[in-house]
Amino acid sequence: METAIRVRDLRKTFRVPERDAGLAASVRSLVRRRYREVHAVAGVSVDVAPGEVVGFLGPNGAGKTTTLKMLSGLLVPTSGEVSVLGHEPSRREKAYLGRMTLVMGNRNQLQWDIPALDSFELNRAVYRIPEADFRRTRDELVELLEIGDLVRKPVRTLSLGERMKAEVAAALLHRPQVLFLDEPTIGLDIGAQKRLRGFVAEYNRRHGAAVLLTSHYMADVQALCPRVVVIDHGQVLFDGGLRELTARFSPHQTITVQLATPGADLSGYGTVVPADEGRVAVQVPKAQTSAVAARLLADHAVTDLTIEDPPIEDVIEQAFADRSAVAS
Amino acid sequence: MNGLPGLYSVVGRTAVQTQFQYRTSNYLFMLGMVAEPVVYLVVWQTVADAQGGAVQGITAGDFAAYYIVWTLVRNMNIVFTPYGWEDRIRRGELSGRLVQPVHPLHFDLAYFAGWKVVVVLLWVPIAAVLALLFRPTFDVSPVEVLVFLVAIWGAYLIRSMLLWVLGMVTFWTTRVSALYELYFTAELLLSGRLLPLALLPAWAATAADWLPFRYTFGYPIEVLAGDLTTAQLWGGLAAQAAWVAIGAGLVAVVWRFGVRRYSAVGN
Amino acid sequence: MQALRLVGTYLRIGVQAELQYRSNVLFSVVQSLVAVGTSLAVLALVFSHTDDLGGWSGSELLVVMGVYVLLGGVLRSVVQPSMTQLMDDVQHGTLDFVLTKPADAMLLVSIRRIELWQAVDVLVGAGIVGYALTRLDTRPGALAVAGFAVALALGVVVLWAFWLLLTTAAFWVVRTDSLVELLSGMYQAGRWPVTIYPGWLRIGFTFLVPLAFAITVPAQALTGRLSGWLLLGAAAFTVALVAVTRWVWTLGVRAYSGASA
Repeated sequence: METAIRVRDLRKTFRVPERDAGLAASVRSLVRRRYREVHAVAGVSVDVAPGEVVGFLGPNGAGKTTTLKMLSGLLVPTSGEVSVLGHEPSRREKAYLGRMTLVMGNRNQLQWDIPALDSFELNRAVYRIPEADFRRTRDELVELLEIGDLVRKPVRTLSLGERMKAEVAAALLHRPQVLFLDEPTIGLDIGAQKRLRGFVAEYNRRHGAAVLLTSHYMADVQALCPRVVVIDHGQVLFDGGLRELTARFSPHQTITVQLATPGADLSGYGTVVPADEGRVAVQVPKAQTSAVAARLLADHAVTDLTIEDPPIEDVIEQAFADRSAVAS
Repeated sequence: MNGLPGLYSVVGRTAVQTQFQYRTSNYLFMLGMVAEPVVYLVVWQTVADAQGGAVQGITAGDFAAYYIVWTLVRNMNIVFTPYGWEDRIRRGELSGRLVQPVHPLHFDLAYFAGWKVVVVLLWVPIAAVLALLFRPTFDVSPVEVLVFLVAIWGAYLIRSMLLWVLGMVTFWTTRVSALYELYFTAELLLSGRLLPLALLPAWAATAADWLPFRYTFGYPIEVLAGDLTTAQLWGGLAAQAAWVAIGAGLVAVVWRFGVRRYSAVGN
Repeated sequence: MQALRLVGTYLRIGVQAELQYRSNVLFSVVQSLVAVGTSLAVLALVFSHTDDLGGWSGSELLVVMGVYVLLGGVLRSVVQPSMTQLMDDVQHGTLDFVLTKPADAMLLVSIRRIELWQAVDVLVGAGIVGYALTRLDTRPGALAVAGFAVALALGVVVLWAFWLLLTTAAFWVVRTDSLVELLSGMYQAGRWPVTIYPGWLRIGFTFLVPLAFAITVPAQALTGRLSGWLLLGAAAFTVALVAVTRWVWTLGVRAYSGASA
């Protein structure tokens, strides 16, 4: 199958001035400036198929936004190869710009003082969307996002969650085939996050668009992305399914049991970790999970037993911890 | 409507809608601007009185006419300020525009053109009050009105593009206010903004002829408030067309290099 | 004393921040020279067509211009940046951070931001006044210079109080950026002695926008036009204006606290 996004050994290096704090240093820097090279993206390779939703994870400063900016043509790579829908983004060809969209959660593109509906008109003109298509898409988006009443009010009067929904609708009017979503749910309450998530999934299902999403909220990733790319220090740490991510970075599972006669010491089975009242939890290497569970059932009067992967946040944290252990 | 005309009409309407909401701000802004020509006018009328009624043939009434038309031309040639570029880049507004398939210049041209509708409506009462206070003398022919209506848009286009080019310097270095200041000073002295160009020393007037500034202030004002010959009337329009072309060329070139620079360093 | 130390600290931090922008040192000097050059050119242009403007000679107008440039420097280096910050804070609700500090809030908002390089104009303005004095037909005596110093100090206070008064309007009218435009437009009128303006404008520039007291009165002191009564009037006006500003400020803060609650 052809790829929607194809990235090979992508790199971006910035030169930033350095300066110490204090008055003396300020004066010194008047005369001579020191520079430092920052490798924001240091060799990223990734492929995304049409219709695929990929979560792009990493701590602040890992190079996620820089990568997204290179993919959307805002930044020219220092080296490497990028192709999105067969276009080289940095050329910023109109044919390309008309087929993609970039949504940044902390920046708004809607006109502040007028209703979103009028901003939609603006985008219709910008993207030269035929009137009939425009109406159909607009009505569909308005319905899917449940923003029928909101789009008639000046944007400045909307709440953050409402605004973000209108923002997303505006960004999708031209039915882009590639979506770059940079922290689209940032600052939203749980309910709004959930609705936006559901919408992205639905848009992806209906229009088969490729989606590249960054988010700090693991719930976003779990709900939307069968596949994740984890980057740190500008390099790909992991590329694959969420399940493999867990397997790879968390070699443990947690067995939680409820015993008929509480108080037994289970430290012989694995590492005891805190658990709810009346339950005992032990962490065991993944390969031994079933054996340990069988032994527990054989040795004790167990009324309830569950086996869980650790929360994805912990897995990611573990991944970055491993990484820095290697690096330092 | 689709294509560029469609874009202009939508963006223009947006501007009208937005700026009507801010009519109070707009009015304060305009009142602040009126102070400038009133000061010039008072000074030159004082000079005219001291010289027995006229300075180089320009009477107090002529000065009043000049500076009242000035207020309209000034409002017409308000464009996106070069000072705004830093903010535009820092707040990511430019990035938003760059991922859209239209040259951002069109947005500014259309937006500020739409804004003029509001501005001109608000300007009418101000002009009426000024006319009552300062008693201008006008002698206008229909063809002058016609040329004026074209010339103010010519002035708008020239000033838009020149200030865009100036603003784009922000791509290379922020904190460029001294450069802007130099530009605005040259404009002040050599455009007819400060005083009718006829009152400049001969060498300065010659310099003004070869610079674009006069076509954004002095020329449109004199079309209505001065007495230009037919040749000067049409010659001015031709010169405006030439400067529009030069401005567009400069915008195209500087924009290309600017974006290359912007997408190398980001923000 | 605590207030003075506060001013000192803010000044130091302001200087430090400004030193980061090396190009601005040069640019501000250039900018100031350009502005002064422009003003001189304007004066020269006017006086190439006449040798008297409403009873003021060219050299006397140079004194007015010097005072105008000097006070403009004060305005742009300290007053305006702080006032712009105040408006921003009111708009974004961040004024809370100032109001919760244990210092006089009105003082605090007046000195928070400094644009050091703009203060070049203060020196340039003083230079112009000094140069103009050498060209005057009658040199001012010691008394006149003392009167000038007092009038100038009053002028600084008047400008600060007036700007703060109007900025405080930001408590009620949220979007006031155009106010800055209006004020700097009006300030330009101070380049000329208010006596040249027709009656209704002169009254406006004396009481509504107090350019007369800020700029013309100090210049009058140096050109033998100032009476003791006028100076006394200027002092009374300054006191009254500060009192009004203080009162409006108090009301404004109350309105702000009410609105943001």
